[in-house]
Amino acid sequence: MALITQRVDVPVIVDESKCLEKCTACIEVCPLDVLAKNPETGKAYMKYDECWFCLPCEKECPTNAITVQIPFLLR
Amino acid sequence: MSNDIDSELNQWLEMLQSSDLSDRLVAVKSLQYLGDEDALEPLIAALGDESLAVQKLAVTALWELANPKAVPALLECLASPDLEIRAEALSALGELISPDRLLLLLDALHRDDLNMQLNVLILLRKIHDVQSLPYVLPFFESENAQLREAAVTTLRYLNQVERCDRAIPLLSDPDDSVRRATVLTLGHLVDSEVVPRLCQVLTSDLDWQVRRNAAKSLELHADPAAVVALELAIADEHWQVRKFALQAWQKTPDNRTMPILIQALTDEYSDVRREAAKSLAALKNPAALNALQQSLDDPDRDVCIYTQRAIETIQAATKEISNA
Repeated sequence: MALITQRVDVPVIVDESKCLEKCTACIEVCPLDVLAKNPETGKAYMKYDECWFCLPCEKECPTNAITVQIPFLLR
Repeated sequence: MSNDIDSELNQWLEMLQSSDLSDRLVAVKSLQYLGDEDALEPLIAALGDESLAVQKLAVTALWELANPKAVPALLECLASPDLEIRAEALSALGELISPDRLLLLLDALHRDDLNMQLNVLILLRKIHDVQSLPYVLPFFESENAQLREAAVTTLRYLNQVERCDRAIPLLSDPDDSVRRATVLTLGHLVDSEVVPRLCQVLTSDLDWQVRRNAAKSLELHADPAAVVALELAIADEHWQVRKFALQAWQKTPDNRTMPILIQALTDEYSDVRREAAKSLAALKNPAALNALQQSLDDPDRDVCIYTQRAIETIQAATKEISNA
């Protein structure tokens, strides 16, 4: 899978102000393991450019910090 | 291995007591994933957390643990001021509640709390126990329309209830949703004395959904006394009323209404045309064959198929009679 180099145009968007440093809920539920923790900030981010738009990350986040942007043609 | 799990459990249980909200959120979420029965009591205690987010996650975690011991605590959440917590607790209890909790539910129904009463009325539908009838009936006279609607809907789910005279006045309730629920409930009761009232509602209620539900109920009753009202309803201004009136009519076919059925074959809505074709098939009257032949080129494929079937049914019935 291709690494994400720029974090501005990825489907899984994490609101860092809401993301909890000790929480790994989204990382654990992602079936593709594309989410990871940023070691510098402790916040979750989308590490690999691959997504099934299955939404558990958004649903399981305890603070509603995650938004998955589903492409128009998949809606 | 079990030591690892215990130490992980203890770590989260300790974190659940933290004064930091984010720690408690992480702890309750982790306990949900861990699914350890030993976390039951701490999770029940977390239902009283000051944070609504922690409370909601605790409800979800208890739901996943599915331990019946959590039922009384979850029941308390039905009176929560937060809508999401109430909805989550209701869903959880919908799966966890069992008939042996009936008395607990009936006790909760006496609480002077609108949300609690509303949710308990919904939960009583899962138990189907006729013992709850005397506790449900007073809500028919409630000042709150939501409670009246929930109570009359619950009545539909109670086993062994065949008639309920106290529900009939709700057919004239000022609230549309109460009337809609009442007509459907009266369809599920075996009491044939309600048929004239349902006929009256079918032809005169101002709300089309009430009229449609009345047609559905009359289909369940399948009483020939409703034929005249159904005949009027086939000409109703709303297509759904026309459609369900035709479906009800199929249960008690009557040759007198054939001209109306033939007219319904040209209705602007294909669902109505399809039901008209099915109704003519139920009549088995060869006089309808000409009209059905003309419907074979209907723009809706579904209507064509049912028209063809109707023609075949009538022809088969005619052949049987001539052979006899």
